[in-house]
Amino acid sequence: MAANFWTSSHQKQLLDQEEVDVVHPLDKDKGITLEDFKLIKMHMANYILKLAQHVKVRQRVVATAVAYMRRVYTRKSMNEYDPRLVAPTCLYLASKAEESTVQARLLVFVLKKLYSDEKYRYDRYEIKDILEMEMKILEALNYYLVVFHPYRALSQLLQDAGLNDISMTQLTWGLVNDTYKTDLVLIHAPHLIALACIYVASVLREKDTTAWFEELRIDMNAVKNISMEILDFYENHRMITDERIIAALSKLNLKP
Amino acid sequence: MGDGNATNNRGLSSNNKPEWLQQYDLIGKIGEGTYGLVFLARIKSPTANRGKSIAIKKFKQSKDGDGVSPTAIREIMLLREISHENVVKLVNVHINHTDMSLYLAFDYAEHDLYEIIRHHRDKVNHVISQYTVKSLLWQLLNGLNYLHSNWIIHRDLKPSNILVMGEGDEQGVVKIGDFGLARIYQAPLKPLSDNGVVVTIWYRAPELLLGAKHYTSAVDMWAVGCIFAELLTLKPLFQGVEVKGNPNPFQLDQLDKIFKVLGHPTPEKWPTLANLPHWQQDLQHIQGHKYENTGLYNVVHLSPKTPAYDLLSRMLEYDPRKRLTASQALEHEYFRNDPLPGRNALVCQTGEKVNYPTRPVDTSTDFEGTTSLQPPQTVSSGNAVSGTMSGAHGGTMRSVPRQMAVGGMQRMQPQGMPAYNITSQAGMGGGMNPNGIPMQRGVPAQAHQQQLRRKDPGMGTNIYPPQQKSRRL
Repeated sequence: MAANFWTSSHQKQLLDQEEVDVVHPLDKDKGITLEDFKLIKMHMANYILKLAQHVKVRQRVVATAVAYMRRVYTRKSMNEYDPRLVAPTCLYLASKAEESTVQARLLVFVLKKLYSDEKYRYDRYEIKDILEMEMKILEALNYYLVVFHPYRALSQLLQDAGLNDISMTQLTWGLVNDTYKTDLVLIHAPHLIALACIYVASVLREKDTTAWFEELRIDMNAVKNISMEILDFYENHRMITDERIIAALSKLNLKP
Repeated sequence: MGDGNATNNRGLSSNNKPEWLQQYDLIGKIGEGTYGLVFLARIKSPTANRGKSIAIKKFKQSKDGDGVSPTAIREIMLLREISHENVVKLVNVHINHTDMSLYLAFDYAEHDLYEIIRHHRDKVNHVISQYTVKSLLWQLLNGLNYLHSNWIIHRDLKPSNILVMGEGDEQGVVKIGDFGLARIYQAPLKPLSDNGVVVTIWYRAPELLLGAKHYTSAVDMWAVGCIFAELLTLKPLFQGVEVKGNPNPFQLDQLDKIFKVLGHPTPEKWPTLANLPHWQQDLQHIQGHKYENTGLYNVVHLSPKTPAYDLLSRMLEYDPRKRLTASQALEHEYFRNDPLPGRNALVCQTGEKVNYPTRPVDTSTDFEGTTSLQPPQTVSSGNAVSGTMSGAHGGTMRSVPRQMAVGGMQRMQPQGMPAYNITSQAGMGGGMNPNGIPMQRGVPAQAHQQQLRRKDPGMGTNIYPPQQKSRRL
């Protein structure tokens, strides 16, 4: 259903980590490792965010676009679905789905302006490529377009916990944003991701939320596992360099 | 839909028909609108749904070079998530990558409230039976209650968007159609009024006419009230003349029509009235007219004491916050009194029924919207124009697309249609298919009609692939 996560296509499409961590055979043939795979997806999530800031759409559009991109790569190879085209097209489609349509022309203008001198060559794509890819992505998503995000649950939960001061709100909101740099959106329900972000933030800010979490009677193990993933992400993130991303992308040997 | 590959049609067959299209027999065109065409087709073997009728809505690539139309996106997005007996069922989506067109396949509904009302008004000269009105209304509210409880506002309810199933195991079941304007309203990123004025003017709620920016599911309930009245009287309740122009012109005439029947709204009864832009700006204009309050009961010929009148007047409450909700309406006394509403709205238990005409199908048009060279074989000229009643099932495949099957298409004006009889159609056909593109030729009318009406018992079977396994919580 459109507004009830429990009966939604999103809920039905949640996957296990092991299912998400499958490198498509075509990409494997190119030497793409699981690490490369994750790195490229993270890089593309950053790329979507950067584009979004230039075409001025809200965070929810970014989140939906990243979820689309990650869903595409649970089914399609990067070899056939060039991430450099998939990423902006996901933003394009998400902007329509979230009722804040961005013109394809503007998107192409921005990506040419931003990236014309970079070696990843994002600027090779034209409007026509985006429009063609839009249809391929619709197909790859099996026409399921509604995505739920942790943001709404987050503000409700913060309020409920009495933690809705500016500092905690900003910190947790930022944490939620960063979860889109991982595959968490494919694996966990949005309210659990929101809870994990609150958990991490309350540890960082030394707020005692134990009693509040106990009262919620939710699967605390799941929340702690997600929290660990979030912390792992920050831990690993420091070691990610441009060189590693370029190396991963270059394995794809994408056609000019 | 399937795994994506099934709908992939880059491999064209020898007769140039995309693979996905070969699972259907195209019967013809049944509607046309600004963003595309609607076709009637039947599912071919070897599925369990063989012979089942399907309405296929084809979206053209938008002209402004901006890909899949937001209307199509909205419709796919919502219909992929929802499932209810009284909501039209999206059975498949197809993409033709060659010409970048998108096709939505729906369960076919033979009737709609526009045609049912028109049939009674123009052909039967008799009101719709109480049982049928009540059953149609109940099912409409039932579907709407489902939508609203899922935070979906339809925003374009009108008789032609309320479909009714023809013969088969879902006969007389109401299906709310056309979600091209529907929106999830839980957390809009922009005010709901941003993407233009919605709701056909006759069914438009007063708060919208007065310029409300943040409207609610109550706008759908106003439309249901208007439709209820129209089912009772066979005439649109508030038939205002639309002011054309951009953006969002003030519709004084429509308000005037409403005030004539319901009297002026007052800030006492509707406290937020004073905040509505047009009420403030046009205060003099709006209040300049004085009305002899004719009274709603006079217009709909109901005694103010009847449950039907009570229900109607609560749906036409000015203040959207006081207006009855769909779930409240379903609990209304009207539905607990005889005759009780039923699942088959068209045939009550005593077996009394009206034979409504079937949709006219233009069998000379193919999926490209191209007209064939020869006149269609399915049309017999004798029936071509008459909107027959009892003979409706005998072969009334009129050659004129009169109406959409899935809503959202502009109604064709029969008078202005060159193809209204077989002679002129043949003439037109010759000129309209310069490429002589082959089309799916229909079988003779009689056989056609029978096949259309025979519904496979297994037709409800979901043709989507099994969902991926769900997990956690």
